[in-house]
Amino acid sequence: MLIQIAWRNVWRNKTRSLVIIIAVALGLWGGIFSDAFMQGMAAQQIYSVIHTETGHIQLNQPGFLLNHDMQMQVKDADRIIAAIKTNSAVEGVSAIIQLPAMASTASGSSGIMVNGIQPSDQEKVSDLSKLLIQGDYFKSDRTNQVVIGQQLADKLKVKLHSRIVLTLQTTTGDIVYGAFKVTGIFRTHDSEFDKQMIFVRNKDIQQLVGFPPDAASIITVLLNNNDDTKKVATTIQKQFSGMQVQSWIQLSPMLQILSGTMIQFTLIFVGIILIALAFGIINTMLMAVMDRTREIGMLLSIGMKPSKVFGMIMLETIFLSLTGAIIGVIVSIASISFFGHYGINLSIIAEGFNAFGYSSIVYPTLGVNFYIMLAIMVIIIAIIAGLFPARRAVRLKPAEAVRGD
Amino acid sequence: MPVIEIKNLTKTYNETMVPVHALNGINLEFEKGEFTAIVGPSGCGKTTLLNMMGGLDQPTSGSVIIENEDITQMNRGALTDFRLHHVGFIFQAYNLIPVLTVKENVEFIMELQHRNKKDIADRVNYLLTAMGMEDKINVRPKYLSGGQQQRVAVARALVSKPKFILADEPTANLDSKSTDTLLDLMATLNEKEQVTFIFSTHDQRVMDKARRIITLEDGKVISDTKLKATHESINS
Repeated sequence: MLIQIAWRNVWRNKTRSLVIIIAVALGLWGGIFSDAFMQGMAAQQIYSVIHTETGHIQLNQPGFLLNHDMQMQVKDADRIIAAIKTNSAVEGVSAIIQLPAMASTASGSSGIMVNGIQPSDQEKVSDLSKLLIQGDYFKSDRTNQVVIGQQLADKLKVKLHSRIVLTLQTTTGDIVYGAFKVTGIFRTHDSEFDKQMIFVRNKDIQQLVGFPPDAASIITVLLNNNDDTKKVATTIQKQFSGMQVQSWIQLSPMLQILSGTMIQFTLIFVGIILIALAFGIINTMLMAVMDRTREIGMLLSIGMKPSKVFGMIMLETIFLSLTGAIIGVIVSIASISFFGHYGINLSIIAEGFNAFGYSSIVYPTLGVNFYIMLAIMVIIIAIIAGLFPARRAVRLKPAEAVRGD
Repeated sequence: MPVIEIKNLTKTYNETMVPVHALNGINLEFEKGEFTAIVGPSGCGKTTLLNMMGGLDQPTSGSVIIENEDITQMNRGALTDFRLHHVGFIFQAYNLIPVLTVKENVEFIMELQHRNKKDIADRVNYLLTAMGMEDKINVRPKYLSGGQQQRVAVARALVSKPKFILADEPTANLDSKSTDTLLDLMATLNEKEQVTFIFSTHDQRVMDKARRIITLEDGKVISDTKLKATHESINS
């Protein structure tokens, strides 16, 4: 009956209870949705980096990434690719010749990174072909095509079909020049990537710099499932022990740290909201206790144990808080589902977002774990908020309280 | 053997600059089945005396012995338990739980005592029928008149078969018709249940029904008149 009384007591003063329930619901919705928004941004950034820049796993000569020394080649790349492809967790593998170079036009020049790729293989590990805003992705068989980022195109003032001159070092240390025709312009969520990375066919670059035909700088691996990254990386490392095998977490450690930090940050954020709400709950429950001094005095007089009176007030506080929390979570799930499907378009501030590698359309997302943690936090906060009013209730002197003194 | 034995009971409030002697050496005994009114002017110590007998307040000195046990020596937990099992309270302002129905209000004390459901149902139905409230069992107190609410309060006080019932000005908020009805019902149950009723009152109608009238003044008993024999003594 104690539970029944506590629940009914919540609804005795509907206006007062509804005010605090709405406050809890709105506060939690704000916290949860902010968290989902940031989680969505982080998840998209990770997805974007994996699917346009690093893949899940990269294999190269140890030390290659430090200075991009073209002598540090992955020999016998075809055999390695074939071996990696036998793993069922692997979705695609691509060999890349990656060389530092200078891109020049009549309007200017810029230091860039040339990526010599086999387009059909690269499409299996990268979404770059889907991010073209102009032109196409190596559709024709013509030689010396180049696909560049919009940021670089703007810097060099080139358009589709313009020519740019690439200055590179050959395997023998000589300087060579190659004229390439812009056949595609892409735009990713990372403006730095768009400024730095250009893509050409590997055979064009092989001929230009004398790179061995069955060699690569990097072998990029895309998996069917991100969760398999560590396991597959370990397997590949065992297969090719002389090579450096790194997962995207090792290649972009900041990304992983950022993702983890966001979870902690948002939990602190929600915690602060809940603490603020706790004061509202304490106020409401104190008012409820003061309004019911006579009734609580009667309960103590007729022999209800103070521990039960304490429990009744605690239950009321928990019911009040949980009702608000449940409404807040339902509204959150609905809004996260809606915006998770349609996205939140932040194109007004897209430039700033892209500079940090974020997409201008954010799809909020949130894991089940967060809701479990939230439920625990709400119950803890409700218990803490209930302690003071409940203590006040049991400290009433029955003889005085029953007269309403 | 008396149900309640009060010996040299004093209560002094020191909350103001001048100590207030609410009770000043009270000695009283109450037998089983009494229907007693404690009367006297406001501030004479009626409510304080009831609070001491009910274990709601501690005296400055003296003792309140209920069946050989001095309740003034009990700790808070034991007093709570004592009140739950041995005392019924009726308050001036009814003090029903507004979120519970009539039936639930009466059941509540037996539930606190962890009695079985059948016992609770039988006892509650009997008392609510006796109080003429059988057609209102699922109604909440706010839909009842003052007289009806006080009848429910009487049923609640009696439901656990206490040794005695303490009623502090139970008719103060009732009209004359409701008062008469309530007093008749209480007198009937007093005889049927053989439970001791002790009222504090200013109400002449209560005094007219009482079989013993104790008059207090300045915290002292100035008269103790047994008007009629108790039901038990009549039978014996």
